[in-house]
Amino acid sequence: MSAPRPGGYRAAAREVLRDRPEVRTSVMAATHTFDEHRRASWEEIDADAWRDWMRDVKSHVLTHLDVYLETAEARLEANGVRVHWAETAGDALAALGAVAEAHGVRRAVKAKSMLSEELGVNAFLEERGVLVRETDLGEYIIQLLGEPPSHIVGPAIHRSVDDCRRLFGEKLGTAPDASPEDLAAAARAALREDFLSADLGISGANFLVAETGTVALIENEGNIRLSTSMPRVHVALVGIEKLIPRLEDLSAFLQLTARAATGQAIGTYVSLIQGPRRQGEPDGPEEVHVILVDNGRTRLLADERAWEALRCVRCGACLNTCPVYRQTGGHPYGWAYSGPIGAVLAPGLLGLEEAMPLPFASSLCGACAEVCPVRIPLPELLVYWRERAVEAGLAPVSERLGMNAYAAAATRPRLFGAAATLLRHVPWELGGRALPVLGSWTAQRTAPPAAPRTFRSLWREGIE
Amino acid sequence: MSAPGRAPGGDGPASGRRARILARVRAALGGRERVTHPGDFTGPRPLDARGSDRLRSFEEALVAAGGEVVRFASVEEARRWLADFAAAFETISVGATVSAPLRPDRPVATPGAAALGVSVARAAVAETGSLVLDARDGRRTQLLPPTHLVWIRGSDVHVTLRDALLDLRGGLPSAVGLHSGPSKSADIGQILVRGVHGPGRLIAGLIVEDDGPRAAPSTP
Repeated sequence: MSAPRPGGYRAAAREVLRDRPEVRTSVMAATHTFDEHRRASWEEIDADAWRDWMRDVKSHVLTHLDVYLETAEARLEANGVRVHWAETAGDALAALGAVAEAHGVRRAVKAKSMLSEELGVNAFLEERGVLVRETDLGEYIIQLLGEPPSHIVGPAIHRSVDDCRRLFGEKLGTAPDASPEDLAAAARAALREDFLSADLGISGANFLVAETGTVALIENEGNIRLSTSMPRVHVALVGIEKLIPRLEDLSAFLQLTARAATGQAIGTYVSLIQGPRRQGEPDGPEEVHVILVDNGRTRLLADERAWEALRCVRCGACLNTCPVYRQTGGHPYGWAYSGPIGAVLAPGLLGLEEAMPLPFASSLCGACAEVCPVRIPLPELLVYWRERAVEAGLAPVSERLGMNAYAAAATRPRLFGAAATLLRHVPWELGGRALPVLGSWTAQRTAPPAAPRTFRSLWREGIE
Repeated sequence: MSAPGRAPGGDGPASGRRARILARVRAALGGRERVTHPGDFTGPRPLDARGSDRLRSFEEALVAAGGEVVRFASVEEARRWLADFAAAFETISVGATVSAPLRPDRPVATPGAAALGVSVARAAVAETGSLVLDARDGRRTQLLPPTHLVWIRGSDVHVTLRDALLDLRGGLPSAVGLHSGPSKSADIGQILVRGVHGPGRLIAGLIVEDDGPRAAPSTP
């Protein structure tokens, strides 16, 4: 079985829409709920002021990233944390594998981490004989199903209660009519054993505070606090873009990230981790490691336009509002990050060729830009990557022909006028389908009748 | 104590990877316009909109997230309430820094086996309804028992999360947990359930007596 990749987007999206209509039902309901909660919680605050401030703090960090990385490293080490630098996924996995081997780790518990999905942590450790247990309830569900996450915040939103009943009935022996409470209790009992027996806890990081060397993590279940408190060793995987200058800067980030993701005033649990257990503390890990991961981030940072995507706080708000994401959920996107932000990060982190055709998986309706808490110009960046794809000869043939033809006509006024007149007389029912780009549009739609006179002719009369 | 400096297992000072990443960052930022830090966030806060006082706002926010708040006018009043409240729990686990009058007189078990966990919060936050829990009190007691009672003094309730973080900055333990409600998840079919991994019941015992220096009214 080949691993999913962005290149399979069209076929995978078609398959979901045709063969699994229940996915669309679940994803549509969940994303609408998330988005309504976000909208209501933003109305309680001056969200625009918070968003401007967070955009500026993130841009400040990214344009001084070398300084903040060095500050954070020094603080982490002073706190007794062991710092590793990883240029690639391979480096990050090797560092994690070396820690696991040094401690003879057989069982690991993992807190939800999109970076760990990006790196492929579970498959790597399992090949080395380490049993990795996902402990976020949504991640646990999809681990039992053998599926990747479908959403940055709600990994199992494509699955219904009935799906979970069947799954837990088979794996945990719950009753066929078990309530969601019963199912959660069964998962709690099973995972409690894992927390008590694991030697290694693996987490990501929502933020890394440079001045204090604090790894900050947001969650609702308590599994992240447990994963980072119970096992002897804690390894945090941290993308180099996750830095925040000062501890007090976390205040707005913790609150608006939660409001953007789920509409909560703050995540139920926030962990602020400074390092291993200290003298006089009753519990906590003996060793804490931070793996700073590049894996394409410096390449994205070097891009004059798209570097702004590195401000992303992974709240999922752009997925929840995206009419394209809502049809299929995240699986067809073929990698860890889906929806508008996934389509914008992919060309930077994976390379433009590998990311195709994700920048085209959007209607450019602009809804994502309206909800991004750090004001990433998502529609502009989607268009930017499309232009780059056309330049590189990577765009879909129809898009390339369409864009080239439009560019040729639009820069030659007489040709443009002639083309506009010609298009007024195209019999759309028949001819429209043969045209590039418009073909797929007209397959599902009829065109309105053309106005009696063109805008250009009216304009000429008006000024003459 | 952990010795500062480069610990074994990390990359050495001459690490090629570290140097290459930093070099790529600097190259990427070569001609880039530097953005200045916008300074302290001074925009309106959720609390301003709610218009209630500091303690009531803390209570409202925590209750809205599914927590419970019980208010006491003195430690003595809290102690009397505790005797009744704790009687319903077979076994307890108590945080290392909880003072003697606030420790229930019940059989003690390990945190993993106890029915009730009792902790003391170092601070709280009115705008988010958060209890600030310190690793020195014991993380297992804060997380493993299905019911969690947390003592908090009225004078330790900050208006904003920013105030609480500024206060924490100088004295951070290995870990701080902000607990702002009972453990919850909507991962099964978007239906909210409580007590998934952490405690399904969170009760703040708010003791409002001899308010200290931070007791000044916070809102008009």
